[in-house]
Amino acid sequence: MPLDDDDIPTAALAASVSVAAGADAEIPTAEEALEEEAQDFRLFATAFRKNTGISAQTIRRGEKDFESHGTRAQEKALEQSRQAMQDHLSYTRVHLPQNWARGWYFPDWWADFTEEEELQQQQLHQKEKRPPAHVRDRVVILETSSNSSSNLGRTVTGQAKDRPGRGKDWLLPEEALFLIERGSLDLWWPMRGMEEMFPPEKQPGAEEEVGKADEQPKATAEADEYEMGFPLSVQAAYALLVGNDGERGKVSLQKFQMYSNLKRAGFNLLRAPSPPPSTQQAMALQKPPQSNTIWQWLVSLLTGANHSPQPYGPLVKPGLHRSYNTIYQQMAVIPRHKPSEQPSCAEQPQAPFEIHYHVWKAAAKWTKLRHPPPDFYISVVDAQQTDVPSYEEITALIDATPYAPSNPDWAGQHGRLYARLKHGHRNVLIAVVDHGVINYMRFAEGAFGEEPLFPRFDTRGATRGGKRGGGRNHRGKSGRGGRGGRGR
Amino acid sequence: MATSVADRQVRISKIAGRYLVFDIDDVAYIRRHHGICAVFTGTMPQNPTQNVFLGLPIELYAEEARLLVDKKVGYIADDANDHLSRLKSLDEPSRKAYLQSLKTQRKNAQLVIDEARAQSQAKHKSKRKDKAPKLEPSESTSTKEDDTGLFDATPAKPAQVVVAKQALPAVTPTSTGQLISKGDGAAIQVPKSYPLYAYLNKRGYFITPGLRFGGDYSVYPGDPFRYHAHFMANSYGWDEQIPMLDIVTSGRLGTSVKKSFLMGAQQPVDDDNGDAAGDSRVRVFCIEWAGM
Repeated sequence: MPLDDDDIPTAALAASVSVAAGADAEIPTAEEALEEEAQDFRLFATAFRKNTGISAQTIRRGEKDFESHGTRAQEKALEQSRQAMQDHLSYTRVHLPQNWARGWYFPDWWADFTEEEELQQQQLHQKEKRPPAHVRDRVVILETSSNSSSNLGRTVTGQAKDRPGRGKDWLLPEEALFLIERGSLDLWWPMRGMEEMFPPEKQPGAEEEVGKADEQPKATAEADEYEMGFPLSVQAAYALLVGNDGERGKVSLQKFQMYSNLKRAGFNLLRAPSPPPSTQQAMALQKPPQSNTIWQWLVSLLTGANHSPQPYGPLVKPGLHRSYNTIYQQMAVIPRHKPSEQPSCAEQPQAPFEIHYHVWKAAAKWTKLRHPPPDFYISVVDAQQTDVPSYEEITALIDATPYAPSNPDWAGQHGRLYARLKHGHRNVLIAVVDHGVINYMRFAEGAFGEEPLFPRFDTRGATRGGKRGGGRNHRGKSGRGGRGGRGR
Repeated sequence: MATSVADRQVRISKIAGRYLVFDIDDVAYIRRHHGICAVFTGTMPQNPTQNVFLGLPIELYAEEARLLVDKKVGYIADDANDHLSRLKSLDEPSRKAYLQSLKTQRKNAQLVIDEARAQSQAKHKSKRKDKAPKLEPSESTSTKEDDTGLFDATPAKPAQVVVAKQALPAVTPTSTGQLISKGDGAAIQVPKSYPLYAYLNKRGYFITPGLRFGGDYSVYPGDPFRYHAHFMANSYGWDEQIPMLDIVTSGRLGTSVKKSFLMGAQQPVDDDNGDAAGDSRVRVFCIEWAGM
């Protein structure tokens, strides 16, 4: 996130657009009344013309002032900025007939899609390696599949043949709203039922009847294009599709803002699967390997018992020590965290710290059905209503992500030590949303115990050979090793 | 813009507990006359693949919504319910009126598209003609309008244009406009930092979310179009114990982004008849690094 406010989205709009829109953007108020007609045309011209005059070159034009100094020049610059903002934002979304995509809002079509069915579907999908579909939340049906269908929307498979609208793409609320906002989708409010608008496919037996029903709406559609319904505004789309967390068929505003922010930046997003209803199953699955690790841990305790410290007296037994290794091992009293492929805590993540979206970097081959494992796991929280996660919350959240150790090429390289620590063994992104401003934070499961430094002290002599010219000061940088040399 | 400023009522859509404004004239109005710029959150349909310029709607703080309602220049509308109930039981006249307004918009859009197309075609023709003689001098004068026209019309071939003219382009209006009724005011729960907000707003400061710089608010000495933020502000309770470390962290943070750390609180009143934004009882301090 930029620390200076130069990057505030709207801030630069001003300068750029005032340049692009030129001098005709500002007409003095006194003359406005006289030039009523010309003014009018200009108004709707700006409302429909895609002014693409915003570009990177024009963004930084015009330095901001420190404070108001009451000059007319300053006032004029500000007024130009505001006027340009107004002109630009009064653009109305226009869909040309050749690339017009229409969606219909049917909020209750999948409402009685039962959990079992969905679960069955999920299992079916897992066999086929298809991501979960969240069918109950899908509320917008696409009339024709559009360009974006490879990334958005889903058809619901396994439906009866005579069900209306079979094989159509259905959108989640955030997908629909994003498409509407970017001007790629025209959302309509239906005034007829699904059966009339998307009649089921013709069947050999009932061909005639269905055929008639099929023709009728077509004929009427020609007579009055608004017979079946009418288009909705962006505002109406927000009202219908944005809701509170957990409302079926809606998306919370924070999640939508995060979603569209990443979509605009080119990432691919899918809703994360909802947590499995029966946690016990998952627990049972986890158990055997876990007991294995516990067993290993016990064994390590037993074998380590030889080194276990005395109840009193010095930690390091007096005697002749030929290497640092033995000393540090005797001093290691506190157990260290060891990341493992099995999550350490069996608890389910609690809202709001749950994985909400899976995110992929932009890739040409990515489709909604076939894609590699996600690049990121994102949880969305509100800045004002959420506290810093507790240890339990963040552990449960991190454990909900798969084991993702750092690049194996980095293993064993001294130079990659900090990169390894930073990468961690599991990680999750938390998007903090404050009234439309979004901040992304990364939490990772670090394992400092996996990166012991003391074995290096023994091999010091060898590595130092090359660096001898550096002198004592140089060597001192590696901390405890400073006392080295004594063994020799 | 055309309606007189005096009786303008800003429709603040309350959707899932958030306050949004969809009308561009409303947005410009509260920015000009009430010092509220809020945050643009929507995707710009003109340039949908960037995060630098964002469009409507704007999301208001609860404080800002409250301020507008208290000043009697805005009202809160429960948009989700309003839309649902209205759309479900739409009577024929209002439906016709709505569709009529859509039709005029579509016709206007068609006019603009045709004009742009004609312009770009003319330009292409003149370019082809001029190629033989020399570089045309007219280019420098016509670049501005024609650039935009070019963008709109290049994919369409002339043959298609004739066919497409039959069907008007579809239009998605930004705000629902007259279709929905005026909502009646609902109570707004404001956070306890509201007095500080009202205090700063009254003195002409513009405020955006503090998440950018790590406080409750980022405070600008004027419209953020022209100025950088000067302060990052935190609100405290009047008798709240403030840990010394808070001052150090916030002051340090403010300094590192070239802002001064501002803290404010409102003195409570014993009897409950004072206005919520009791301006006179707000005290504000700035903290800066001594740099010794």
